[in-house]
Amino acid sequence: LSMTEIRAGFTAIKANIQSRDPIRTLSILSHPHSLHKVKSADRCCITHQLFTFYVDKVFKHCRTEDSFVNRKISSIANSFLSARRKLGQCREQNNCMCGEESTEKFKQILANYEGLNVTSAAMKSLGELDILLDWMEKAR
Amino acid sequence: LGGDVLLPAPQSISILSTNMKHFLTWSPVIIQGATVRYSVEFQGEYEREYAGGSWIPTSECSRTTATLCNVTQDISASVAYRLRVRAELGASRSPWATTEGLFTRAMTSLTPPLLRVLADGHHLLVELADMGPSFQFRVLYWRKGQESRVQQKVLREVSSVVHLDTMEAGAEYCVKAQTHVQAINRSSSFSPTQCVRARGDASL
Repeated sequence: LSMTEIRAGFTAIKANIQSRDPIRTLSILSHPHSLHKVKSADRCCITHQLFTFYVDKVFKHCRTEDSFVNRKISSIANSFLSARRKLGQCREQNNCMCGEESTEKFKQILANYEGLNVTSAAMKSLGELDILLDWMEKAR
Repeated sequence: LGGDVLLPAPQSISILSTNMKHFLTWSPVIIQGATVRYSVEFQGEYEREYAGGSWIPTSECSRTTATLCNVTQDISASVAYRLRVRAELGASRSPWATTEGLFTRAMTSLTPPLLRVLADGHHLLVELADMGPSFQFRVLYWRKGQESRVQQKVLREVSSVVHLDTMEAGAEYCVKAQTHVQAINRSSSFSPTQCVRARGDASL
């Protein structure tokens, strides 16, 4: 259910956020390979890693001058926290193993992120949230 | 007048939450001959733990004269929130008054749904008051005297009138309902039972 709330929050600010991303030729989540190539066994792990990535690295660098956008980002960030908590329960029950492929994939995402200055990277990552949400919904 | 007034922080602040509608209330700050305004901010777990304890202005209560603020839009995730309010008069600002404990939307109180049971000829119908997108309804209905054969219908969206069953002539049927909120995985208590009788003669 958090995903529905995250999707609603993101849809409300998607155009605003994506308009702040000048670098259209690069992708944080999809370069060089799309998330859709991740094996199902690795899906839980990479989802947890990505949620941690957004919570630890992305949201805090996305503050804007627009209070409506800031509130929606807060809503998304807090929903990520509660969703990650549920995913954490899977990790505790050991059915969220990190395979080689997802580890490699996540390294690539971090490299893409660190290849840009932090504000651009954070805004781009936030703007790509629909890629993550689409992949998660398709995978469900 | 406002420039040099020492404004006290609002007192008696508390959160009232019923059926996933959340309000912050406080006592007014009285300054003779002046209109005191208030601003409310919120802080989720993310802001506390990952964003340096930052606060965010609420969507509805910046420089309001009311002493009640609807924070439903702002309490939008299943984490713990804190709220704060201060008084403002001209350039003067009072200290912030912050809610004592933490509030999560799971703490909301859930009341039974309002419903109206109708017999339309042989049809058993129920009309439920809409309570917003967070709510589902669990409706139980049975023929009076056959309490062991209760049937159930779960309604995710409330259209005006819902058809429950086709009744036997002259028989009496009873209905009760409760709400369920998936976001917090809680249900209300049941509404009082309402019974109606189908038209016609039961002996036929």
